[in-house]
Amino acid sequence: MIDVFPAAERHSADLGWLRSQPSFSFGGYHDPNRTGFSVMRVCNDDYLAPGRGFGAHPHSDMEIVSIVLDGFIRHEDNLGNSVVSSFGEVQRMSAGTGVIHTEFNASEETELRLLQLWFMPRERGLAPSYEASSFDPNKLHNALLPVVSAQGAEQMASIGQDMTIYLSKLEQGKQLAYTVEPGRKQFIYMIEGVLQVNDKQLETGDTAQVETLNELAFQADSPSFFMLIDLP
Amino acid sequence: MKQTFQVKHAIGGRMFIDSDKHGVPYTQEAQGQGWRFTVHVPNGPMLEEVLAHKHELNVFIFQEYEDQPTLKTWYYIKDGQVEYDADKGILTIFAESRIEYYPHEYSV
Repeated sequence: MIDVFPAAERHSADLGWLRSQPSFSFGGYHDPNRTGFSVMRVCNDDYLAPGRGFGAHPHSDMEIVSIVLDGFIRHEDNLGNSVVSSFGEVQRMSAGTGVIHTEFNASEETELRLLQLWFMPRERGLAPSYEASSFDPNKLHNALLPVVSAQGAEQMASIGQDMTIYLSKLEQGKQLAYTVEPGRKQFIYMIEGVLQVNDKQLETGDTAQVETLNELAFQADSPSFFMLIDLP
Repeated sequence: MKQTFQVKHAIGGRMFIDSDKHGVPYTQEAQGQGWRFTVHVPNGPMLEEVLAHKHELNVFIFQEYEDQPTLKTWYYIKDGQVEYDADKGILTIFAESRIEYYPHEYSV
């Protein structure tokens, strides 16, 4: 079953310095029917104005992934990390017993677009940790590139949950297949383009929640940039 | 010094309890290696939200001074250790650890 949630029905918030499009309930937007999928709790497509961002605030017992789509993000935390990331880089923060951090647009000139993804951890109460990893954007083309996984690897951040985040840029007319392991669920976020997923069509900003399928067949109806998350 | 007690939803910061705005009496005391908060909250929507999200709470004490920066203390509620005594109208929250921080010490 593929359950498509169209971008047109998605909540959006414009605070001036922040334009946010959450796929699930977040902050003042609360829809009891959209509070997450599997272990996923947050999928925010955020645009931050130059020099602006989220001031010091805490997190605990949450696996938080930030994927920069455009611009530059500066992360700073009480663990001593201060890192600027851009497209091709991924930040993973395991909040564990608690971390204080900030996230800001590191540029005073250009807008920042990033995906903020939160997942419940496999185990609560662990020591907090942070990791910044990078991948080769060229490897996104016509492939499903894992950028975050439980095991981690070179050019792949590790995460405290049984899951994998893939990114892909598919040329128009190209196809990809993804074989599903039994019992797994998938979340798809359409960053840009028009994509056929089995018998469903996804357009920019759409999400799809997939359950009980054996295989996913992707075909790009236009140049497509999408994220696939394999979940328990 | 002005002190404020707050309980927020950890997913996006939705405010559940603000001692300043809601005028709810509260106490804070050390218990073992942690802390215990007791809050006088009537049974109602505010309380229901707290209990419904007891595994996803951010608990704060803000200390605002006239002549020095605001000190924020965040408390870690590990396993939803949140209880409500309906007879007394008292909400009890147990915190295992805490982090004190001055927001101005983080660059922007």
